[in-house]
Amino acid sequence: MRIVNTVPVLDESKCIGCVICSSVCPTLAWSVDRKTKLAVLDEPRCFGCVNCESRCPTYAIKMVARREDRFLYVDPRLVDYAEVEALCRKARFHPEQVVCFCTSSRAEEIAAAILTGSRTPEEISARTGIRSGCTIECSQPLLRMLEAAGIPHRPALGGKGWQIYGRVPTAWEIPESVKKKYADRGFHFDQDIALMEEVIAAPAEPPADASAGHSPIRRLPEAAPETLDFTASNGTSPAGSRQQ
Amino acid sequence: MKRAPIPPREPRVSSYSVDPALIRKRGAQLDGICSLEIRDLFPDQPEVIYPSSKGIAAVREETLRQMSRVDLSRIKPGDSVNVLGSRHGFTLLGGEPYAEMLRAIRDAVTERTGCRRVNLRMGQGLRYREGEEYIRAFKLDSCFSNAIAIAPIDKGIPIPTEIGTLYGISKAYDADWIIHTHNSDVREIHFHRMVDRAVKPFGMSYARLETRSGYHQNLGPRAANFIARAIFDSDFVQSKYVCSAFLMVAPAGIVAVDCDNDLYALNDRVVVAGMKYYGKVVTILGSIDSCIAMLDFPAPVPYVFAGGLIYGNFLGAGHDLFDIEKPLPSYTFYTEAYYGRGERHLTSRIPGINPALKMTIHNYAMIGYPSEFFAAKVPTVVVGREQADLFRHDPQSTGYMNHALVADDLATAAEFARRVTGTDKLLIFDGAAGGFNVSEPLADYLLKVAPEVSRKVDEELLPRWLRQRGMEASVLAAWRTRKYPQAA
Ligand code: SF4
Ligand code: SF4
Repeated sequence: MRIVNTVPVLDESKCIGCVICSSVCPTLAWSVDRKTKLAVLDEPRCFGCVNCESRCPTYAIKMVARREDRFLYVDPRLVDYAEVEALCRKARFHPEQVVCFCTSSRAEEIAAAILTGSRTPEEISARTGIRSGCTIECSQPLLRMLEAAGIPHRPALGGKGWQIYGRVPTAWEIPESVKKKYADRGFHFDQDIALMEEVIAAPAEPPADASAGHSPIRRLPEAAPETLDFTASNGTSPAGSRQQ
Repeated sequence: MKRAPIPPREPRVSSYSVDPALIRKRGAQLDGICSLEIRDLFPDQPEVIYPSSKGIAAVREETLRQMSRVDLSRIKPGDSVNVLGSRHGFTLLGGEPYAEMLRAIRDAVTERTGCRRVNLRMGQGLRYREGEEYIRAFKLDSCFSNAIAIAPIDKGIPIPTEIGTLYGISKAYDADWIIHTHNSDVREIHFHRMVDRAVKPFGMSYARLETRSGYHQNLGPRAANFIARAIFDSDFVQSKYVCSAFLMVAPAGIVAVDCDNDLYALNDRVVVAGMKYYGKVVTILGSIDSCIAMLDFPAPVPYVFAGGLIYGNFLGAGHDLFDIEKPLPSYTFYTEAYYGRGERHLTSRIPGINPALKMTIHNYAMIGYPSEFFAAKVPTVVVGREQADLFRHDPQSTGYMNHALVADDLATAAEFARRVTGTDKLLIFDGAAGGFNVSEPLADYLLKVAPEVSRKVDEELLPRWLRQRGMEASVLAAWRTRKYPQAA
């Protein structure tokens, strides 16, 4: 679950229309107007990751506190949990495995987002909040899950964006010749595969309630559940805004 | 011998921490705090060149001396060179030693090759403005032709490797040549496990997000660092690589600067030195039966330092972090990933958190790192509402304050922790140079067990750690005499 409590504001006098903000935004919330050459924010897409603020070369963007928090979460109970499990394990994740360390989101949430219609990392991010913190460590799980669902990855903005270029190798793809060559240097390729396979094969349980997908004492705020858009399927607008 | 507290590292003005004026009291100022010098515990720690009576000039002199031994003949006067750095070099002893090494490298390159286009490319962790904060603070922009911080979300470049395509940051490689500059601080033992430690920045600081995610999610906890080797060995990187320069660090300070064209030879010295000199510190901290930790340093939660070790290491210090027969340390992203719902372990191989760590007082640390795990696993008291609020709005740690309590001041937090845990052993992670700031009962304990820890590391543990990595302790002879193989 992601609590979104900040939003960017633009100082137009500083903007030079360089498109860096739109190149680094994980939810494609920024675009640059062709006529004015100024950045334009589609605010409902923003999940407060601060990438734009951090990379704008002219310091034109500043994060401020939102008037009201938004909550992003896709409940794995929306779909048959057997399907969630099958997709996670095909991508070589355990359904309960944490895949985004900033939001403590589990693989099952990505699976639920895909099974309810999300087709790109950007769509999944906008609905789940995954990739809204460091924005980097969870990028491979997103691609591996989409690939397992048979959805090919196309880099955002027609290949011009810098969001995610592509999947990189997994342990299962390391050539035997490489493993042999470095066997005495401490890399433990096959032993690590055995460890990961033990995790993948461990039994899984669907979450008991909407909040249980997360760490045990993290709870949805009481006012939030009815605002969550559990049925959003096109993934183009973030679920669960209390502000809109 | 117990001494007066060592001055802690000063708070830093940064967009990732509260205003330094809000850090009203430091752990070292609490009643009953004393210090231990690392050398009082382990007399075999190497001599340091910094801090010393020579001041920062010792680092410059040593860098120029060692750079004179490397082959720079690939660089021609009209060429361009990127000196690749990593921002965590600036967290060592206030940052000036690393900054001075960088300046001296630039001077050596210009002087010896006639090349004037020497750029700085500063790799970063997960705080994408931090590199430029350091570049400005140490005025490196006025020293290099073009000094910029690079981030894993910046434009990338595909790098074909022997395991498939990985991605680097385009601007790291936008010169004819690269010089890899780093430090030998062991730091994230939980991630690299001292396997190819000196190569790691190629898979991290200079790498795009796809590569870094692959490191932490695709390969496994002990195979992960192979990503770095694959990139470094690629034809693309080798076509640009000239040499490496490392600030060699031990818990007591800067010991040397080691420059080499052969990164793997340098790597062996870095790994062996790291295990020998930090191995004793991690082992003695792992022997503590019960204590409170205090975070009090300008770095994110797992990266605050005590005795040269980071808090992230202390979480697993009850287990042998260097033993790579054990697949998972207590903290690493793989370990964090394998906690299922309701704390259920998805594998029997999770070692659990260091049971001696009863509570953590968070007096001062920075945002910009996924830190919820730490507060979820260790009872945590955060000092000051402003700091709590900062963490609440950190997109990487929005859950941190769901687990932590807030105290208005440090003395209240310390008294609360002592009463609730029943322990009077306090270990302060405040970057005290050359030693630890600790409570007196913890100092007494550490002094008592140090000789046995020293013997155990020398006779039992170090030989095992070396064997596991196919390494020989003899490579350190060069490190101690500062006469490296290429000079022979
Ligand atoms: S990154 Fe900054 S300067 Fe560039 S288009 Fe966006 S707001 Fe404008
Ligand atoms: S999602 Fe991140 S990069 Fe995109 S607009 Fe919001 S804060 Fe900026």
